[in-house]
Amino acid sequence: MAAVGSAVGLGNVWRFPYVCYENGGGAFLIPYFVALFTAGIPLLILELSIGHWARGSPPEAFKKIGKKFEWVGWWTVLIPFAVATYYVTVMAWCFSYMIYSIDLRWGSSADSFFTSFLNDTGSPAVLGNLSIPVLLGLIAVWLCIFLILYKGVKRIGRIVALTVPIPTALLIILTIRGLTLPGAMEGLNYYLTPNFSALSDVNVWIAAYAQVFFSLSLAQGIMITYASFLKKKSDITNNAFIIALADAGTAFLAGFAVFSVVGYLSASQGIAISDLSLNGPGLTFVTYPTAISLLPFAAALFGMFFFIALLTFGIDSAFSMIEPISASANEKWKISKAKATGIMCTLGFFLSVIFATGGGIHLLAILDHYITEFGLVSIGLVECIVLGWIYRAHKLREHANETSEIILGRWWDYLIKFVIPIVLILLLFVSVYNNYTNNPYPEYPAWTLISAGIIPVILLFFLSFVMMKMKGKEEEI
Amino acid sequence: MLENSAIVMLIFGCVVLYGGLTYFLYRAWKSKKI
Repeated sequence: MAAVGSAVGLGNVWRFPYVCYENGGGAFLIPYFVALFTAGIPLLILELSIGHWARGSPPEAFKKIGKKFEWVGWWTVLIPFAVATYYVTVMAWCFSYMIYSIDLRWGSSADSFFTSFLNDTGSPAVLGNLSIPVLLGLIAVWLCIFLILYKGVKRIGRIVALTVPIPTALLIILTIRGLTLPGAMEGLNYYLTPNFSALSDVNVWIAAYAQVFFSLSLAQGIMITYASFLKKKSDITNNAFIIALADAGTAFLAGFAVFSVVGYLSASQGIAISDLSLNGPGLTFVTYPTAISLLPFAAALFGMFFFIALLTFGIDSAFSMIEPISASANEKWKISKAKATGIMCTLGFFLSVIFATGGGIHLLAILDHYITEFGLVSIGLVECIVLGWIYRAHKLREHANETSEIILGRWWDYLIKFVIPIVLILLLFVSVYNNYTNNPYPEYPAWTLISAGIIPVILLFFLSFVMMKMKGKEEEI
Repeated sequence: MLENSAIVMLIFGCVVLYGGLTYFLYRAWKSKKI
């Protein structure tokens, strides 16, 4: 359940529908399912197997394979910690907007999100003023994460028993409401109508693999950590299918909730759907709130439902990004779980304050771009090499088969050793090529891309070696 | 109205995702192993 909660996050609500629409609409489901079954689920089984076999945090698990690979484990826990610093900022926006829903305070101006809420300076080079609502939201969300994690895994179990079904139920209510609105079918046609010619475009296939990879919380040490808490008899392969299908199913459902309302907005304002802002923050904090303001009745209620759903979807993912690093610190230096969590949450809060400034949204976009396109893909590749080639994939397959009635054949080894690494190398190659030939942020000064995007990713890589070299409590004795 | 091709993709998505999820949840429930 915790792993489902981790996989299902904010990205499911706004990223999947948008990526689906951009890459052939309904036809995107075909490469998406291919990617899910050839890369997402096999990699998920790999991560669950190593965590279940090693019964420890990612650095501990990789150390069991070979002492010199401990850094891979540290790398996998440092990256989600960095992601958490800006992910929590997006949750802080949701937190403020949930309160704003009471009186629809965002008003009718679509740009109020950027101007009056974020104090947007328009450039990452100018930090400007702190946004007080975002800062208060950051304090609230980091405090929640600390309170959930500091007592350990039992509390996580109790929390996810609420934070997985509640947003799912709210999403179903929002979908039903959305489908009854005028113009909803136009929105759904926009979302689902297949464009099969897109299937011949290699970029569509890469987008499908990228979506599966990022959405399932892979290469972030999260699944390894959670698998270490599983019972010895837990069915790893069956669990992997449940996690992956629940994640994809939520994303698919979110598309109906979002695009039915987008269709309604288009119909009521007489603006073509293609002219509306449909990606990332634009969809969640501009397009959707504007549509909510136009609802004929109970607008505040549905606004609250939407942002509560986002917050509860997000909180599972947010604490799952902190849990691996606090569990790793707890294991290596034998400090109490509460202390390790407290240190990480305090550090995370101070690091995320920069995203509450006027230039924060731009810094967030840059860091997210470089971490997801280069950091996560590189870790996935290293994981496949270390676990598939050095430790040998068949050993982990045998471990998974011991726990499951679904028997994995040698085809799984080939996926881990050849297919997934090739796809990840291709993803990396295309990302490097695209970044080189087509600057993703031409409006930003080059030094901001280097200092806010490239340097942090490189720094995290070297930091993983520093963490490995630091003496643990046992080693000191 | 929803276009025919959109309906086909809707059914395809629902069968694979929700059908698959139901099947694996049923397996987990049957074997009592989560």
